[in-house]
Amino acid sequence: MVRLGRLSPHITRTGAGLVLGMACVPPLAVTLVALAWWPEAEAWRGLLAHPTFWVALRHSVFSATLATALAWLTCAAWCRWVMRQAQPGRLQRALPTMLATPHVALAVGVGLWLAPSGWLLRLFSPWATGFEWPPGWSTTQDPWALSLALVLWLKEAPFLCWVAAAHLQHRTHRQDWTRALVVAQTLGHGPNRAFALAVWPQLAPRLRWALLAVWAYGVSVVDVALVMGPTNPPTLAVWAWQGLHHGSSVQQGMGVAATWLVAALALAPTAWWWLRGTGLARAMAWLNAAVARCSPSALGLRWGAWLYAAVWLALSVGSVMGPWPFPDLLPSAWSPAAWASVLQAGHTLSDTVGLAVGAASLSVAYTVLWLECVPPQWQRRWQWLLWLPLVLPQVFWAMGLYGLALRVGAEGQWWAVCVAHAVMAVPYVWLVLAPAWQRVPAQHAVVMATLGRSPWAYRWHVKWPMLVPAVWVAWAMGYAVGLAQYLPTLAVGAGRLSTVTTEAVALSAGGQRVVGSAYALVQMLLPLAVFAGAHWAARGQRVGGKVA
Amino acid sequence: MSLASAPCAAAWAATQPSWQAVLEAARGQTVYFNAWAGSEVINRYIQWAAAQLTQAHAIKLVHVKISDAAEVVQRLRTERAVGRGPGQGSVDLVWINGENFAALKSEGLLFGPFANRLPNWSLVDVVGKPSVKLDFAVPTEGYESPWGMAQLTFFADSRRLPKPPQSMADLLALARANPGRITYPRPPNFHGTTFVKQALLETTANPAALLQPMAPAQAEAALAGLWQYLDALHPHLWRQGRQFVQNQGAMRQMFTDGELLLAFTFNPNDAANDIAAARMPPTVQSWQFARGTLGNTHFVAIPFNAPHVAAAQVVANFLLSPQAQAHKANPAVWGDPTVLDVARLPPAARQRFVASLLPGQVQQPAPALLEPHASWVQALEQGWAARYGS
Repeated sequence: MVRLGRLSPHITRTGAGLVLGMACVPPLAVTLVALAWWPEAEAWRGLLAHPTFWVALRHSVFSATLATALAWLTCAAWCRWVMRQAQPGRLQRALPTMLATPHVALAVGVGLWLAPSGWLLRLFSPWATGFEWPPGWSTTQDPWALSLALVLWLKEAPFLCWVAAAHLQHRTHRQDWTRALVVAQTLGHGPNRAFALAVWPQLAPRLRWALLAVWAYGVSVVDVALVMGPTNPPTLAVWAWQGLHHGSSVQQGMGVAATWLVAALALAPTAWWWLRGTGLARAMAWLNAAVARCSPSALGLRWGAWLYAAVWLALSVGSVMGPWPFPDLLPSAWSPAAWASVLQAGHTLSDTVGLAVGAASLSVAYTVLWLECVPPQWQRRWQWLLWLPLVLPQVFWAMGLYGLALRVGAEGQWWAVCVAHAVMAVPYVWLVLAPAWQRVPAQHAVVMATLGRSPWAYRWHVKWPMLVPAVWVAWAMGYAVGLAQYLPTLAVGAGRLSTVTTEAVALSAGGQRVVGSAYALVQMLLPLAVFAGAHWAARGQRVGGKVA
Repeated sequence: MSLASAPCAAAWAATQPSWQAVLEAARGQTVYFNAWAGSEVINRYIQWAAAQLTQAHAIKLVHVKISDAAEVVQRLRTERAVGRGPGQGSVDLVWINGENFAALKSEGLLFGPFANRLPNWSLVDVVGKPSVKLDFAVPTEGYESPWGMAQLTFFADSRRLPKPPQSMADLLALARANPGRITYPRPPNFHGTTFVKQALLETTANPAALLQPMAPAQAEAALAGLWQYLDALHPHLWRQGRQFVQNQGAMRQMFTDGELLLAFTFNPNDAANDIAAARMPPTVQSWQFARGTLGNTHFVAIPFNAPHVAAAQVVANFLLSPQAQAHKANPAVWGDPTVLDVARLPPAARQRFVASLLPGQVQQPAPALLEPHASWVQALEQGWAARYGS
């Protein structure tokens, strides 16, 4: 132990270099491989001259901007609400459930309510509305991309809240910020303004990466936009995706060019932030002012949680429905056929769980290595490498990872898909683990060292036991993210590995709403079970810690 | 390979092992069959075929579920670009037709010509169903093996639409009388493009010209009537023809929800299958326009770099067998019409094909019109996008 302790600076330095190197491999490889797909000038000209291109671009920018801004304001309101609670409330406990709801499932569920033939109108038809047939309203897939922005907002706001929660749970932060809040209020500011002046400016910069990720997701999402987005033309990401999957090489070339453009669009705010910090600071200041002005109550937030419950209800009914003519409130017949077919696909379930377990374990192991081996100043400088999977569009990653797998002959292999999923899960796992690692009080290490114990003894007996709950939560997160992957599974797996997610998307592409709903529910229940387990494990640990 | 003429094909055949040797080589092989997976009934049929093949030939058939055959076209292009030659690919068999086949064949990405050498090829109805050798006017020349027949078929609830329209002109009148209750998937979606092609066939002055490769000079004149028709139709469509549904599945869902008056499909027994599974009420009826609707054949093809060529051919041959074709044609299973000449089959095999009409099946089959040459599709889709794409 003592010898190891003496050797450890060298070991740590080499280890740190290795771990950092590993972080560079996926983004570098993906970029290099994707560069090989750089489209020809003709494809660019075709893209820019295409009659539908500019409208598609407008759809993407508008829906992503609206959803990002709304999610940001919601997150601020939520943080303000949490700051006032003595104990983490029910709303905080609902977050993992919301995070576990797959994007597509949410979109399908919201559609089951909002569509002209949806439940909302059935509730009032025909007695109040007089509708015998669904009206020709554009409530979903509207040409303004509003319903798409709504779903993105519903899905991204919990993600931002969840990232913020990691910072709010930090003991020192929380104490400092609560004090600042009290000081601001004694200076005569109302509670909302006090929060916006004293706490939010300290919290907001820590959420920058998450905010950029939300924007990038909104711009580049394909599956949700297919279900909820405008159709004529669709958003640019869908446009690109459809081009990539067109038989004619002209269309494919334009699809590749559009994919590059989506990547540029997703990275634009990040680049802007890097090059001219002031510009983004101004935008942030404007948003902060908005945070001070608008004050949605906790009641409004609670409505959001109920909305998720409504979505699950709609999916449950959707998965067992037979014919369901408008305006009947309930289907005229019920059928378990969809669930029977889900159960028959046992290997799909086991493949899904196996891949998710593998991806979660790999991503947690890697992130722990990163946090333990890489010196803090390197971490600060290079952490963007871990973030890239969040800020680069999925289509881009799928293309790059596929090209990489093809070159090393690994496409269609189980382990390759597992590694691809792990790469996508790392940023989320890092989001949970990094604040937890920072929370460990530094004086413990000093005390152990003065007692003559090695760094490893400190890690083994003191530090890691404290971190077990966070590791559980991070593992659950990695599992959920791995499970929700669609494009990387399809591309790297050569289509040979089918998961619940690929199944759900393939079936909804064929408009099979009943089986699609059943798969969406399974896709949601699988991570939910793990989140519940992690919550239980983490609570057990915390109680144990208190007793000790 | 794409320019394979008859002597070339004969030379190729001479290099190939006998059928008995193919059967031997196929034992124990795994066939990765990339096929569109958007329909539960079709997925179940492929599972059934997999079980039969394991039993009879010790072949493991794996359904690689894809959402569009064009994915495979792109995959094969990429694989060739990185030097994955014969035997080193990831796809053994692909479900394909039309544009995607034209692309793969012209780029030399297919194995063959294998189809005419399959023992069951002799049962195929090459006279009564010319599209089994002519895929969107592109001669197949043995590079793909027919699997099933498709014909544009409309369906509607007879309680709501007792007198179905019998032509595109009738459909326009119906749309005028029921604004917002009819739509079609947005081209370049396969079904959407088909709807537009049907309109083209009924509005063009010279339908014969559509069977030839398109000459850019004649395109404008040939398509003028179509744009006129669509200009008249669109204001009466769902959302005034400014938005269109994504795909046939979405259109069918909106039909069962009551949002649309009618929907259409490429499988004449689609509605019958849905009625049998209680997904649609038994009052739904299917019909084809009296003077005919577009018909075509869908095929299976083997990529140039397929790793298990022998087993892939055995699978293609099995899919052509009377047993597999009859099971597929049963509306309670899938309802996909056969490519075989049923009248010429031995009596025992003939009896496998169900004769009686089920609720929802087409009562009076109309002639199948040949698809325009694949080269017209590009012009149609570009023109459509320019006029109605935003």
